[in-house]
Amino acid sequence: MANHADSGHPKQSDSLDRRSMMRLMGSASGIGLAANMNQITALGESRLNDQLRASGKRVILLWLAGGASQLETWDPKPGRPTGGPFAQIQTTVPGIGISELMPKMSTHLEDTAIIRSLNTKIADHGTAYELMDTGRVKEAGVDFPHLGAILARELGNIESKVPDYVSMYTSTEGRRKGSAGFLGGRYNPMFLTDAMMPENIQRLESITDTDHRERAELRDTLSKLFARHHSHPSFEGHNSAYGRVRGLMASDYLFDIEREPESIRAQYGPTQFGQQCLVARRLVEAGVPFVKVARAWWDSHGQNFETHQELCADLDHCMSTLLDDLKERGLLENTLVISLGEFGRTPSINGSLGRDHFASAWSCTLSGCGIQGGSVYGKTDENGNTVVEGEMSAGDLYSTIFAALGIDHTKEYMLGSRPIPIADFDSTPCYSILT
Amino acid sequence: MPSAHPDHRYRSPSLAASVIIIAVINLLSAGAAWCDSDAARQIIQLAERIDQEIESQNADRLPRQTLSDAGYLRRVTLDLAGRIPTIAEIKQYEDLDLPDKRLQVTTSLIQSPDFAYHQRNELDTFLLRPLNHDREWRSYLLEATKENRPWDSIFREIMTPEETRPEDLRPTAFLKHRLGDLDKLANDSSVIWFGVNIGCAKCHDHPLVDDWKQEHYYGISSFFKRTYRSKKGLIGERFDGKVKFDTTSGESKDADFMFLTGTKVTEPELSLDAEVLKQYQEQIKKAEQDDAAETPPQPLFRPRQQLVDLALSDQQQRFFAKNIVNRTWARFFGRGIVHPLDQIHSGNPASHPTLLAILTDDFINSGYNVQRLIHAITLSVAYAQALPMTESDSPSHGENKLENQSDRGVRYFQHAEPRPLSPHQLSLSLLIATGNPEKTAEQISNPDWEQDRGKLEERSEGLAQKLEIPGENFQVPVSEALWFSNSSEMQNQYLGGGKDHLVGYLNEIEDPSAIISQAMFATLGREATSEEQVVLSKYFEQRNEQRVDTIKNIVWALVCSPEFRFNH
Repeated sequence: MANHADSGHPKQSDSLDRRSMMRLMGSASGIGLAANMNQITALGESRLNDQLRASGKRVILLWLAGGASQLETWDPKPGRPTGGPFAQIQTTVPGIGISELMPKMSTHLEDTAIIRSLNTKIADHGTAYELMDTGRVKEAGVDFPHLGAILARELGNIESKVPDYVSMYTSTEGRRKGSAGFLGGRYNPMFLTDAMMPENIQRLESITDTDHRERAELRDTLSKLFARHHSHPSFEGHNSAYGRVRGLMASDYLFDIEREPESIRAQYGPTQFGQQCLVARRLVEAGVPFVKVARAWWDSHGQNFETHQELCADLDHCMSTLLDDLKERGLLENTLVISLGEFGRTPSINGSLGRDHFASAWSCTLSGCGIQGGSVYGKTDENGNTVVEGEMSAGDLYSTIFAALGIDHTKEYMLGSRPIPIADFDSTPCYSILT
Repeated sequence: MPSAHPDHRYRSPSLAASVIIIAVINLLSAGAAWCDSDAARQIIQLAERIDQEIESQNADRLPRQTLSDAGYLRRVTLDLAGRIPTIAEIKQYEDLDLPDKRLQVTTSLIQSPDFAYHQRNELDTFLLRPLNHDREWRSYLLEATKENRPWDSIFREIMTPEETRPEDLRPTAFLKHRLGDLDKLANDSSVIWFGVNIGCAKCHDHPLVDDWKQEHYYGISSFFKRTYRSKKGLIGERFDGKVKFDTTSGESKDADFMFLTGTKVTEPELSLDAEVLKQYQEQIKKAEQDDAAETPPQPLFRPRQQLVDLALSDQQQRFFAKNIVNRTWARFFGRGIVHPLDQIHSGNPASHPTLLAILTDDFINSGYNVQRLIHAITLSVAYAQALPMTESDSPSHGENKLENQSDRGVRYFQHAEPRPLSPHQLSLSLLIATGNPEKTAEQISNPDWEQDRGKLEERSEGLAQKLEIPGENFQVPVSEALWFSNSSEMQNQYLGGGKDHLVGYLNEIEDPSAIISQAMFATLGREATSEEQVVLSKYFEQRNEQRVDTIKNIVWALVCSPEFRFNH
């Protein structure tokens, strides 16, 4: 069993030194200068270097909204009082067993690392969602960007013709949009709620394509005349939003799975989650850096086992198909697939045969880009109540994700005079599951 | 083309404009009598003090340029009425030959129904909108802004609704939407009312600001700890409850009731016996869960009320007053005298300390009169400065130049900074710009304008809710550009070709150059430059066959321009 609990994690904190340094910097530069987005810069490393390193990297986040049970997925406890009715099955990686509810994934672990040691402590939906989608505990007064926005900024191209953050969430339960926070509206998600096609991405029939294009050119010409006398970053930002419109419209076909061969569509299957995973594959193939596909609603306070029988079947099928498809196309090497929710579920089974919220010892997976496949990190006790090896925080998970993508996890955004590290203070990547 | 448009349907644009001018004369003269009053003289003096202070800090003698009449009117109408001016208002203002015409127009705007609505929208965005759209709360705010309720009264009503308006649930929304999260309630209250972001001092003393210690963070939290809301929606305070915290050295402490200035409130010994206390506690618990439950008694010592009393006491009120003066200033200049707005502390001095002191004193002495402060600001010469001019025609060259000079120019208020329109400003302005300008002008000069403005407000709500509220680092999101480019609302409603719309109105005019001129005035509030005339005329000529669509596309290009999107 490839367990690497003792591999240099976590490392000694250097935050005190860093903070005293910032105090000096703060007083030298005049505390509280404008937090201008155009001045948000990374300390230490040039953005260009990062871009070269991280270029071409993509992420698909399979968001298991409501909190999937680790015992019915990646960390089964068969035969224990907490184990529930399902058996553990052997995977094709020697020494790794997962729940029998995930039979297809049991033959697809060669590119996947399972993390069994998340201890994120927060177990109410709203706060835990914020924690897992920003990688840090919410702080009054600072609007932290969500993972998708950070990665859109780090992996995307500012002039990109395709969207750089697409979020699909069609279930009404637990719907949360995700926000770019202090990174600004440029990195907000293109959010799909009701339909498979984003809003306002297609031209209306009442205007011809020529008119639509020429009208945009006219707008552009007038804006340039205005800019000759009044140049300002705010105006440029406005023009760049309009500059992206035609490109985004031209990418509408990416959302149209009818364009896929019947055989591929059949592989992904008829469920909405499957279809959205196919859209996600089409998007990353076209260069979209971050796609989130949410599957709801795992919050099984009652009837946990029936719920997981149904939802795991969908997850198992779609995730394995997605990994296969990405691999066949040579995309998996540069695409990180994450399966994650806001927390896991209690090992103890309640009176309604349900499992409740649980954030002390739960699991997630990372596959593909930068990941040492066929590995397991961390360990819980025999009943799954506590982490006994390799405890990992939300910040550590974020560090690991950034490191897998070639992004320096110690990088900081400057919000005025305040440094905000992209992964939370004192977090460390789990190097043992990275290639 | 002419065959489709019989001659008698055309109207000369100049005639159309003169009809409108007559209609708005009343609006501009509305404030004439007031302009001779003592109050007006005091406001003029205050505006002059502002300019003396701004000038005294301009040691570099940075070049300045004052706005044209049309430019000033657009800015001040957006700022005071929350919408762009109509063609008629611009012509009227340009033709007005009076030395004090700015006084006239600001007075008219402040006395118009538009002002109360706009002020309401601004307050809502500041106090609650990012969390919740609450109609009842908005009606409360409108009532307050219509009567120019003093800022300290609004503060009392919102923060202690149970004391000040026991029968009125509307002002409870501020507390209600934050009660689930003590940290948010405490920090938001501190940021909003006092301009102090204490968030950084939660886990340790503030690493960059010597003023803010952990004790301040938990001190402010303490004032809110006991607040609860009953199932009926009433706000109350418990009899007990203390905030505990761990210091960085690991010591566990009970927080004091401590204000940001370090002043503490001592809690008197609770003189209830244990049985009675328990009974009250249960009563409160019941009231939180059951809307039929009796309203529990209020304790004698109520920390939240103590905070409000303390903040408004003679010794402490400058903190409270300075914050709103600074925020109001920032609303009109795009930057605070102390900036960022939530960093009022000794390590972040004001750019113009005397100015801030003068305005704060005047604000307190005038009985927390927000309207007076706004009036003085908009009358100042500093407010009427233009954007910095780009000297070179090369955009990249211009940008570099701007960055060097801009920081200082903006910091010292020597020139204007473009400010993104708020969702309401943009949505209302789009309705005004794309409406039939004659009809709109007529409506605005009508005695029923107050009602009509209310209706316009309702119509603007749908789009306003879709748009992002601009924060400090606002960038126009691509979703907005997509909405303007491809939504059926934009194409079919705002750009509709009927008589109620600008497109339909322009289509009645024969001469393309008159169409262009009117389209420019209706949307951007100014005459087309010769270059723009050339570009737009050429566009018109190329598309001779598609007249209505051509007009539509021109109007679209104008309302989607950065010039329309920002107040500048």
